Amino acid sequence: MVDIKKIQAERTKLFDDVNDSIIPKRVPVNIFLGIEPTAQYAGIDLAEAQWNPGMLEDAGDKICQTVFSDSIPFMPYMRSPALYTPLKAQSFVMGSNGFMQHPEVMGMEADEYDYLIEKPYDCLIEKVIPRHYKAVNSQEPFNTMLSFAKGLLGKNDSLMAGAGIMMKLVAKYGYRQMGLNGGGAEAPFDFIADQLRGFTGISMDIRRCPEKLQDACEAVYPIVKKMGTPLIVDDYSSVMYPLHMPTFMREKDFAKYWWPSFLKLCEDHASAGIRTSVFCEDNWMRYLDYLQDLPSNTQLTFEYGDPKIIKEKLGNKHIISGLYPISYLKNKSKQECIDLAKEYIDILAPGGKYIFALDKVPLVLDDFNMENLCAVTETVRDYGVYSNPGEQVGTVFKKEDYQAQSCRSIDSKYYQSFEQRQLENPKASGTELQKLQQLEEQLFAFVANLLM
Amino acid sequence: MLKIQEVKTLVETGKAKKIQAIVQEALDAGCPAQEILNAMIDSMGVVGDKFSAGEIFVPEMLIAAKSMAKGVEILKPVMSGDTSSSLGTCIIGTVAGDLHDIGKNLVSMMIESAGFDLVDLGVDVPAQRFVDAVNENKNVVLVACSGLLTTTMPALKEAVQTIKAALPEMKVIVGGAPVTPDYAAEIGADGYAPDAGSAGVKAKELVN
Ligand code: B12
Repeated sequence: MVDIKKIQAERTKLFDDVNDSIIPKRVPVNIFLGIEPTAQYAGIDLAEAQWNPGMLEDAGDKICQTVFSDSIPFMPYMRSPALYTPLKAQSFVMGSNGFMQHPEVMGMEADEYDYLIEKPYDCLIEKVIPRHYKAVNSQEPFNTMLSFAKGLLGKNDSLMAGAGIMMKLVAKYGYRQMGLNGGGAEAPFDFIADQLRGFTGISMDIRRCPEKLQDACEAVYPIVKKMGTPLIVDDYSSVMYPLHMPTFMREKDFAKYWWPSFLKLCEDHASAGIRTSVFCEDNWMRYLDYLQDLPSNTQLTFEYGDPKIIKEKLGNKHIISGLYPISYLKNKSKQECIDLAKEYIDILAPGGKYIFALDKVPLVLDDFNMENLCAVTETVRDYGVYSNPGEQVGTVFKKEDYQAQSCRSIDSKYYQSFEQRQLENPKASGTELQKLQQLEEQLFAFVANLLM
Repeated sequence: MLKIQEVKTLVETGKAKKIQAIVQEALDAGCPAQEILNAMIDSMGVVGDKFSAGEIFVPEMLIAAKSMAKGVEILKPVMSGDTSSSLGTCIIGTVAGDLHDIGKNLVSMMIESAGFDLVDLGVDVPAQRFVDAVNENKNVVLVACSGLLTTTMPALKEAVQTIKAALPEMKVIVGGAPVTPDYAAEIGADGYAPDAGSAGVKAKELVN
């Protein structure tokens, strides 16, 4: 009988070794498909599955049986209609075919920068959220109240359902152990770009009011920091950031307005033992020297770029991932796909600190050829075997190397701190107050999630 | 002419606030509106080339476009009725299922500054809507379709084929990050350009 627990421990160790700057037994494979290609592969109706994640269990199981990966290859993470529908979301709307569409919404006008800078969290709640969510409307307080509660309950419900499926599959097939030690957020500048000003808006702001933009990055800093902080901090906790705007900017602007608050954020988290993981969208070749400065063993997932140069410049300090072009899986023969996987391993695997992944997450089944994907991940498993496992390589991540940074607190009438609550409720015990504080944090996380 | 040089600089550096006054001064000093417009078009060409070459990025391109639009506002009343210089009308839109419009807007700007009149159908445009727009507008010589998602590449194909089926003579240009010259040819488009700078050039080439 196969010992699933043993397989799971081995797989988990592959990733842990990489994070500990140790050569693993073989290159870990990290592939996952979202619900769209999964539903298509299993032939189930996507719109129906969006409402009922339970339907996806068999579909996800089918993916697990088909594609080799060391981490779970099916992510039921979704933009659940149970959340977005009652809140009348404008920026996430389900199309007739079941795809969640993402239209751009300008959450904040240019002349509202001053308010954002003065009271960031108030601005998000009063100005930005009502523009993104039409059911949040100060003219309709009672409906607002109920819609908000429905959204919260709906989200928790679908989250639990998705997590339940994942946990089952992880246990059934012995995938890399998952926990609550991962967080996700955006760089301060990107947060302002995506949720508040839009791509065009922010592009104009860089030229029109760069100082305000700079102040705004500082203002939202404590909010994005809290957003990213994982629920559990252990040896392998990390925060993941998709990095959006840099490649659309001049280096001068990037260096001045985008990078400083992000670097500070990563070092700040690092000082608490939380690692950084970034997805460098687009082509980051002109920014490699900046990435070098991120905390050791940052996981850098690249979309485009030259693997050789990336490995040379960053491979000693950081963990490299991504780069394998999904377009190859669609357009090339199986043999060509396999050869390219070997080529990437030859370049990126030596010296460890490499996790195999694609350059982007497939949106739909038609983005790739399943047979080629399977052939590629199996090749990595069999070909990416190290002769020197256990050897220590490159720099090691140590939280002592980083310093906590000072920043504003979340000072808002919409967020109560532990101390404020204590003052107001002198009779409540410490444990009770802690519990209430956890609820406050959950609510904060929900609000933050509305803007992700 | 000094004023014209100044207008050019203001477009290239994207000084939208200042440009209207300077355009007005140039007109007052007796510069023909057409000449000022040509100067601005030249500047957008320079901006487009720099963008293609990776010397400037989206923010610079956007403010240049904005600045040009501000300048044109002053020229419009002076030039209205004078259509002699137009290369014809171009219909542009992002294909069905696709909501990306930043690239398309920059392309619009460059095609417009290349000398076309522009009708922008916006985003998520069904194939038939392109055909209808050709029929509803005068002197349409070119249709431009944008698609940014691999998932909307079939919609791009459908748009081109619907246009070609209804209007076999109509020139169609396509673009967007996942589009390649080969794909453009395969789906029957007449032209392709990788970025806004070259889109203006290609558009002109197609109708000449
Ligand atoms: C900004 C952006 C958005 C904004 C769009 C805002 C807007 N008003 O347009 C928002 C947030 C709304 C958005 C939404 C989504 N996006 Co988006 N988005 C981008 C991003 C970051 C930039 C696109 C852009 O504006 N580029 C700048 C312009 C100037 O460049 P461009 O568009 O390529 O245009 C140039 C050329 O292509 C060409 N061109 C363009 N059109 C035409 C037309 C003609 C005729 C010609 C000749 C030339 C031409 O000239 C332009 C100027 O030089 C890209 C990433 C990227 N690297 O491109 C992702 C990207 C395109 N998005 C992506 C995705 C997945 C999505 C979503 C599906 C996300 C989601 N899960 O909901 C949704 C889809 C919504 C929908 N149905 O369309 C993916 C697509 C992946 C794929 N498989 O195709 C990308 C590549 C990001 C990524 N790396 O994963 N997105």
